[in-house]
Formats: sequence, C-alpha cells, structure tokens
Amino acid sequence: MKEGRPGWEAAVRIGLAAGLAVVFVSGLLALLGVSPARAFMEMASGSVGSAGKLADVLVAWVPLLLVASGLLVTFAAGLWNIGIEGQVMMGAVFTTWMLRLLQDAALPPALVLALAIGAGMLGGALWAVFAGLLKTHGGVNEIFGGLGLNFVASGLALWLIFGPWKRPGVGSMSGTEPFPEALWLPQIGALRLSGWALALGVLGIVLVGALLRGTYFGLKVKAVGRNARAAFLLGIPTTRYMLSGFALCGALAGAAGALQVTAVYHRLIPAISSGYGFLGLLVAMLSGYRALAVPFVAFFFAALNIGSIQLPIVFRLDSSLSGVLQGMLVLCVLVVHGARRRFRREAAP
Amino acid sequence: MPRTHSASLALVLAVALLPGCGKKSAPSPAPAEPSAGPPFVFGLLMVGPYNDRGWSQAHYDAGKYVEARLPGAQMIYVDKVNPGDRPGTTPAQLAEDLVSRGARLVIFNSDDMKDSCLDFAKAHPDIFVIHASGDNAWKEGKDYKGLPNLVNIMGRMEYGKMMAGFAAALATQTGRIGYLGPLINDETRRLTASAFLGARYAWTKYRGRDPAELMFKVTWIGFWFNLPGVTADPTQVADDFYNSGFDVVLSGIDTTEALVEARKMAGTGRKVFAVPYNYVGACETAPEVCLGVPYFNWGPAYLRHLRAAREGGWQAAWEWNGPDWADINDPDRSAVGFAKGRALSPELSVALDQFAGELAGGLALWSGPLTLQDGAEYLRDGERATDRQVWYLPRLLEGMEGQSVAGP
Amino acid sequence: MNIALENISKRFGEVQANEGISLAVPAGTIHGILGENGAGKSTLMKILSGFIRADSGRTFLDGAPAQIRGPADAIRLGIGMLHQDPLDFPPMTAVDNFLAGRTGAWRLSRPDARRELEERQADFDFRVDPGARVENLTVGERQQLEMVRLLSLGARALILDEPTTGISALQKDRLFAALRKLAADGKSIILISHKLRDVEMLCDEVTVLRRARVAGRAQAPYDLNELVRLMFGRVVTREPRLEVPTGGPLLTLDGLAVEDHRLRLAGLNLEIRAGEVIGLAGLEGSGQELFLRACGGLLRPAAGRLRLAGRDLAGEPYPVFRDAGIAYVPAARLEEGLVAGLTPAEHFAIVEPGGGLVIDWKLTMEQAERRIAEYDIRGAATGPVDSLSGGNQQRALLSLLPPGLCLVLLEHPTRGLDVESASAIWRKLLDRCADGAALVFTSSDLEEILQYSDRVLVFFGGQVAGPVPASAMTVERLGEMMGGQP
Repeated sequence: MKEGRPGWEAAVRIGLAAGLAVVFVSGLLALLGVSPARAFMEMASGSVGSAGKLADVLVAWVPLLLVASGLLVTFAAGLWNIGIEGQVMMGAVFTTWMLRLLQDAALPPALVLALAIGAGMLGGALWAVFAGLLKTHGGVNEIFGGLGLNFVASGLALWLIFGPWKRPGVGSMSGTEPFPEALWLPQIGALRLSGWALALGVLGIVLVGALLRGTYFGLKVKAVGRNARAAFLLGIPTTRYMLSGFALCGALAGAAGALQVTAVYHRLIPAISSGYGFLGLLVAMLSGYRALAVPFVAFFFAALNIGSIQLPIVFRLDSSLSGVLQGMLVLCVLVVHGARRRFRREAAP
Repeated sequence: MPRTHSASLALVLAVALLPGCGKKSAPSPAPAEPSAGPPFVFGLLMVGPYNDRGWSQAHYDAGKYVEARLPGAQMIYVDKVNPGDRPGTTPAQLAEDLVSRGARLVIFNSDDMKDSCLDFAKAHPDIFVIHASGDNAWKEGKDYKGLPNLVNIMGRMEYGKMMAGFAAALATQTGRIGYLGPLINDETRRLTASAFLGARYAWTKYRGRDPAELMFKVTWIGFWFNLPGVTADPTQVADDFYNSGFDVVLSGIDTTEALVEARKMAGTGRKVFAVPYNYVGACETAPEVCLGVPYFNWGPAYLRHLRAAREGGWQAAWEWNGPDWADINDPDRSAVGFAKGRALSPELSVALDQFAGELAGGLALWSGPLTLQDGAEYLRDGERATDRQVWYLPRLLEGMEGQSVAGP
Repeated sequence: MNIALENISKRFGEVQANEGISLAVPAGTIHGILGENGAGKSTLMKILSGFIRADSGRTFLDGAPAQIRGPADAIRLGIGMLHQDPLDFPPMTAVDNFLAGRTGAWRLSRPDARRELEERQADFDFRVDPGARVENLTVGERQQLEMVRLLSLGARALILDEPTTGISALQKDRLFAALRKLAADGKSIILISHKLRDVEMLCDEVTVLRRARVAGRAQAPYDLNELVRLMFGRVVTREPRLEVPTGGPLLTLDGLAVEDHRLRLAGLNLEIRAGEVIGLAGLEGSGQELFLRACGGLLRPAAGRLRLAGRDLAGEPYPVFRDAGIAYVPAARLEEGLVAGLTPAEHFAIVEPGGGLVIDWKLTMEQAERRIAEYDIRGAATGPVDSLSGGNQQRALLSLLPPGLCLVLLEHPTRGLDVESASAIWRKLLDRCADGAALVFTSSDLEEILQYSDRVLVFFGGQVAGPVPASAMTVERLGEMMGGQP
C-alpha cells in the first residue's frame, strides 16, 4: 500500500512550509518590537519545557488526534466532514447525558465512565451519519449539511446548559454543575493528563492507520473516495461505505467530546469542542492525509495552542498571534504544495 | 473530490481560525523597577479583556495600584480567561503558567473560575490564592472548604447598587427601570435586588409615588459579557428596553453596552439614561447619558493581602468589604464607591448625597417586611437580614419582574 | 476571410489528436468538418480559435501567417467560435451577455447595446428578448445570441461546433438561413458535425477526419455512402470469426423502453443467446449507450421487461444485475472503470476480497501476478493504474471481471488501442463466449462490429433496426443504416 509520493518528500515539504511560516511570523513579531527568537523560545518552553506543560499539551493533543484520525477516514472516502465540530459537541452532550443519568446509580464509576464515553461515541456517530444521510439521500452537500448541523449541535448544548441541565439556582452560560471527582477519568499524579484519555487517543490513530492501510474496508473506502462511480461499477455499495466512513469519523469525534467532558472540563460548557474539530481538519490536511504524520502535526498544533499563552504573559501580546502562526503555516503549506505542482507541470510538459 | 477543493477550503479555515490578527494589546510597560526589597511576582487571571472598562479592568487597575505601593511587587496576567476566548484551557492551567513565570500569589477574578480555582488551590498549597467573589473561605457560608492558602474577597456592592437604583428611580420619567442582568446566581440576585430596594426607596420616599407604579424588570443575558452566539446579545437587550418605554437601564454585566445604546437613543432626541457597573471610569464611554457608576475598588484589599503574603501573616479569610462612609470614593480606604455621572442633575445629586448619608447613618433597606417574588416571606417586619441571608438570596424580591432562577 | 491551415499537429499525452491536417476555407463558403467522436474535429477548431495551441503547423488568414495566442486574439483577427455548450453567463441578461467581451470603453451603454442587439437580430430573423436572463433561454436562443455577439465583435469567420444538437427544427432552419446569408456576405463558415444530413444541406465542401488525420474531401453534391466510408474507413480483409455455437436464450427484452432527457428508445424486443456476440452500431448519441446501460442495470427502464433466465430484472438496482452475472465495462476507463491512484493489486483485492477484515497481501499479490500474466498487462501490480498505458488499462479493466459471467456489456472495448492490443482484448472476450457468456458491445469501428458480432443492432436517433446477422452486412450498408436510410 504505497500512498503515492514517498514520506520524506512530504516531510521536506512540511518542513519548508513551517520554515516559511516562521519567517513570516518572525517578521511580524519584529514589527511589534518583540525578539522573534525569544518569543519562539518562550513558546517552546511554555509547551514542552516541563512535565506539567507537556501534560497540558497532551491534554489538547488527544482530542486533536482523535478528530484528525476520524477525518482521515472521511477524507479517504472523499468527504469533507465539516460537521466534525458538531460531532464533537454531540459526543460531549451524550456523555454528559449518560453521566447525569448514572451519577446517582449504584454502579462502579469505571463502568459509568465507560458507558458515558460509549454514549459520546454513539452521539458523534449518529450526528455524522445524519450529515451522511443528508448527502446520500437528501442531496445536501456534506459541507453545507455539516455546517448546519454544527449550529444545531451548539444550539442544543446551549439550551441544555441554560435550561434543563442548569446548575441549581443558577442560570449561566458558563456550564453545568461539575461531576463528582469519582466520575473524572483518573489523572496521572498531579498532572491534568489522564492516561486513559491518552491511550484512547493513541488507539484511535493506530486503529485508523491500520484500517486504511491493511483492511478491505479501508481499501474500499479509499476506492469510493477516489472514484465513486468506478467503485460502484466494481461492485462496492458506495452509499453504505460513505455512511460507514461518516459513522467511524463521528464516533472518534464523539470520543474526543466525551474526553473533553470526562477528562478536561468535568462538565458541559458551551465551548466544549474547543474548536478542535476545525483544527483537526487542518491537522489532517497538513499531514497530507497520512496517519503516520498526524500525531506529529497534531502535537505541533497542541503545543502551539498551549505555548502561545506565553505571548500575552511575557510580551503582553495578544495570544491570537498563535492563530496567525497557524494560519500562516496552512497558507505556507498550500503555497509550497502549489509551487511543487506548478514545478512538476513545467518540468513534464 | 476532496483534494480539488482542499486548497480553497483550507484557506477558508485558516482565515476562520485567525480571530483578531495579532494586535498588540497593551502599550507594554516594562515590569516595574524593583525599587526596594526582593521582587514579589503575583499573577492575575481576568475573565474578560484587561481593558474592558468594567469588571476586569477594575482588577487590572487594582494590580497596578499594588505594584505602585508594594515595593518589588510585579504583576503578570492573562486576560480573556474563558473557554470561548481561550479554547482548550482551564483557569487552573493558566494559573500554573503564571506560577512557572514566578508568581507566588494568583488572583482569580471571576465567580466562573470557582471550580478551577479550588482545584488549583488544593494542588498548590504553597501558592497564595485570592478568589474575588467566592465563598469557599467563609466559615459560615454554604461551601466552606477550609483551605489555608485561599482568601475570598468581595466588596459590598449592595450599597453601590442601592445608590444606582436610587439614582435611576429619581431620573425615570416613565417609571420603568430595566436591569441588564448577566447570569443568574446568588451574587447577581442580591445585587439586582439591592438596586431594586434603592429604586423603591427613592420612588416612594423621595418622589412620594405608589410603589405599584414602578416597574423594575431584569433580563439576563446568560454570562458576564457578550459571547457571540452563546449569550443573548446585550446590545439587543438594552435596545429592547429603551424601545419599550424603559428610560433608565442599569447594567449588571461587565461591559458597557447599556451606555452605548443609551447614547444612541439620546442621539435621536429621547431622554434616556444608563448606569454602568464595576469600573470607576465606565461613564467616560458616554458621559452625557451616564447617571453614575457603582464601582469596585479592589486595590486596598489586594494590597493588604499581598503584603501579608510577602511579609508573613497571611491568613485564610473571607472578606466582604464595605464602603468607607467618610468618603466612599476614597481610593485607599473604600472597597466600593459610586462615581457620579454628568447626566445626574444637581438636584438629583443632592438627593443622592442625602441618601448616602442615610445609609451611612444606618438606614437598612435589607430589612423586613420583605417578600420574595414567589410570595414566600423573606424577612419579617422589623427583621434585619444577616450577611448569610443577603449573600444567599434565593429568589428575586416581590415587585421585581424577571426570572429568579434559570429554567424552563 | 480566407482561412488556411497547414500541417497542423497536436498531441495530448498519449493521444495524437491532430496529425498533419491541412485545410482551406475560401471566403464566402460554408465548410463542413465531418468525423466520428474523437476524430480530432474539435481539437482542430480549438486551435483555429485560439483555445489551444498546435504543437506544429501554420495558420494563414487572408494569405498572411497568423499567430493566434488565445480566444481574444482570435476574435481580434476576426475568428469567432460557437461552442457546443455555449460559453455564456447564465445569470446575466441577454444584453449583458451581448456586451461581455467588449474591449475599449469602460462605460457600458445598455440602451445602445440593446438597440444594436435588436438590429442585428432583425438581419437574421432572430428573436431573443434582450432583457431575458440567459438561463431562461433555449439552447437555440443562446446560440443565436452568441452568434450575434461574435458578429458584433467583428467576426468575419464563424466556427460552429455541433450547432444542431439540442435545438428545434425551426431554430435549425433559421440558423441555416442565417449561415447562408453570412456566407453570401463573404464571411467564411466552418461547421463541425457528425450529422451527415446537416452537412449535406449546408456545406459547399467537406473535409472528413478520421483518427486525427484527413481521410478525404468531397464537394456538394455528396454521395452519402462515400462520406460514411471516409468517416469509418475502408473494409480490410476480415479474419474469420471464431465460431462459437450459440446456446439457448439468456436475456430476453420484452417491450423495453429506455429514455434520458433527450432520447427515447421504445418497444425493444430481443433475445440474447448464450455464447452470442451482439454489436451495437450507430453514430454517437443515437441510443446505443442507453440500451447498453439499461441491460446493465445502470439505467432504469421506463417500461417493459428484462428477463434473465425467466426472472424480470427491470427496475432492480445495479448490484442485483451484478450478482446475476451481468458485467458492465465502461468506455471511460479512468473515469468510470478504474480508480486512479490505486494499484492493480488493490483493484484485485477489491473485486476478490479474501475472507476476513485484514487484507491478505500475499494472496492478493499472487492473484494479481496471475491475472497480470493471464491478461498480459504490462506494468507493475503495485504502481498506480493511471500510469498504465491505455491498452493496459483496458486489459486491467477486463481482468477485473469475475469468472463465470453470463453477460458482458462493453462500451467501445478497443477505442484508442492499437491493432495488436485490440485483438488481444478480443481473444479474451471470445474466451468468455466459449464459456457460455454473451457479449454486447458498442463501437464506432464498423469493421470491428462486423468482424466480431453474430448479430448487429443499428441505432439511429432512437430508432433501432435489426437485429441483422452480421454475415449479411457490409460496412457500406451499415453506414447507410446509421445515416438513417432504411
């Protein structure tokens, strides 16, 4: 199973793009009167400078990894699953729902947590299949269907937080009552990182990587993604494979949402997805849709997210500058990619 | 299919992920020269922008106040500490970032950070923690945790709100006062009720009107400030008030939408007013419609606790600091104040001073008979509310319109 | 304007589209360019109108050599092209479209443009409402608008690519009258078509292209048989057809009707027998594709029955047809047949999965090597299929067909292949017949149809003639029938 061009070439491309992005951002920092070298140093030490920081980066890494893994499947099936953000939210909503249902039951916390995460995966999968059905049976492009469902999911979460699931005596958009500590995924020592979450994230990418690389299911999904018409004529039930792709991606996104509830915020908040859905799209794209690259790119984005907090603390710079860096990186990857294609075209008339 | 669109979509995503392109947020002063003594770094986590002309800026200015008065004190801070603005972070995590930058004391400035603040205080017994607005250090409170490194500070804003309500009821021509409420909890209920008590006092005692003719309505937006797509839009809520016969809007939120809308209305020739909240300079946004602002002055209390943290003598405490009636606007002594606005006419100003004098003299508006909105008795005739009763006001008072608790 | 093309050649990757084509169109004449799809007509005209550039060859306009670097250049030099799909702006009004492409003045004057549009229309008896949105116009009206626009831009030569497709008889009459009028005014007109009737009615002279080259020229009045012969080639020696005894009835069509948005075939009755080869002849778009797709379950019949071994399959979805042993091999290999980017080995794994979830690569590679050897596919099992040559792609496509099929439906099975590849493909196909399968195929190569078919169906504008035994047919007779002569 060769995925086209060799891996090192993609790595060189990403490296080149990252270099380009760094040059641009350095220029911007210099314009703002901040030493770029110091800024990057601070961001590095603020993200991987200590065990605690590294743990925080991994806390962000896990959901990004899960989301990007799921997106590898939908991308392979030729689908733009923009609804991923809503699928993360529905995962969180379903998890919260299950936890609320069972928190007073006399069940072992481990079982409750497992059921809750399972419910989250189910919620994400249902929401994704919904977007898929809109595409396959309703003729709604998955991009628009997904965007619409994102709004619905976020609206639902808000309504639940302000309404039925409000804290006693409180009406606030800031979130539901935190769950008792017994229903938190156990953390590693004093770190905020949960080993179980980490394991789930790693499992997600490994499973997806193996699925796409070595199974008939993965191969058929890829065939559908590359040429649905030919795949249909070759006897692959394309609709079913598209919906399976959606379901798998949604389940992984739902798991990310479930972990946001059980391992990070311990309650449902309006911004529970933390934007990881959209960020995951970038991660998957920048990874060149390769499972092997996803953990690294996701780690980079997570580190950027955490490390950029140093910008306002140390330099009094707005930390949205990290968004600029992310944006720059994406643009540079696209530019490098475009330049390469142009070069290829000219070299081979 | 995916690859053909990928370039354009990636572009759209990239642009969508750029919130506010890297503006420099402060004319960053170099950290204060350590004039004397070893440096003492303290961290401040603010729920909103440090320059919001509201709640967060009041804390930021207090930090500056401490820096100026406590030799060697250095503030580091993170603002916009809320999951909407900083996805994927928690206040506890950001507090640790401040600690790794040398902070030995961290101030959490929002009720919204309560859970995270407790986590942090428990996990870091060696770091002093101040939570503005909490009750976890209050022995008589409902949620006492007994953490030795935790101090709760709150100002008795009830007085400021009474004065705000008083001014509003004097100024209103229509007898309709709107209250732009944030989220619903104990704190916001008691503050809203205080404003109502002040307003009713002015309406009945100073204007001699029938209390039934005074309409006092609260609309809650769902958070301390506008979170687009999440909360109700405060601009819209303020607009609705002014467009349905309300001519004074009191703000209970951290930002100044009520003032801005009042100025717009005044621009069309209507005689309307607003009373902002939190920050001493809030009226500057639209002085011509501002009756005044009840504000917090966190500086003196912070200075006291930081000095204790640095020099020894720190004690876990819950403080509910009142105004200094000698001069409620004394920056070094009064924890809450009321800055009069330009729209307050001289007669009203005199009346307000007279009211403040009454309060200083022991006038207790939080006294019976008072009935809750649902008809239950809150205070018997002649009974004065205890701190606990005021702090944990369970519902709005009879005579107020609006939700007491959230819910369908 | 006098137009002359000299030795024009153009190659797209592996495909030679034009090779050494020369052509002269004197001012005041209407010149037809005939040829089957893929013969190179459109390429040649796109070169003349600047949309693509020739690899070699020269263009002369009124005797002077001309360099045409783009469509704007072409129109500046007086050459306007009407494409088969009008290149207009549907959401805009007719008058705005009329104005589009004007150079010079920045300011647009709609009233002036409207007046000009109406005057020019009056010359030709065209009646497009200037205020109508183009998306609401018929194809014929859009064509009229585009023609008037090109003339207003100063076109002295007009190229029309299949202009009579999709327009009404009345519009066609108006169009032809307009073209004759323009020619009488000294303009030169080039008409691209594969419709013999149109060419016969209109053109002073015809150039026939076949397989990228000029096959011949003719002048009015035409001998239609001669034109058909030029289009489809001369009969060469016919190899004796492999004799496969045909068996009992396999697929029975009973009053079958098939339609798409522009064509309807009705009342089809046919019995296809095991071991039989049926060729479908007809000019492109005459209905043979509809027929083939209906037999393969890719197009739902509008009426009638389609019985396979007594079971009516009409209306069943494609997978049912597939499971019943009917295979469909599309002409567009990389668009419909193969998945570009996947390797042949991966294709084999898809059509013949081993048991279990995980791909057994060892087994798959063995299968792949076996099939590659069997079908003589030249190329690696682990390289992307799209890097194979056309012939090898076609062989790969055939190698994907499962064994034991009862009916194989093929669109243009050897299009674009050299003689050697074509006969290799046919050997493989006829092996299937020997195993009792029936073949139904379309081809624009009449020799191929006559050589390999037992019986032939001839399609013309939705009418089906036959089946006729191939042994009783000649290429000439077939050409006549395809041209609509009974």
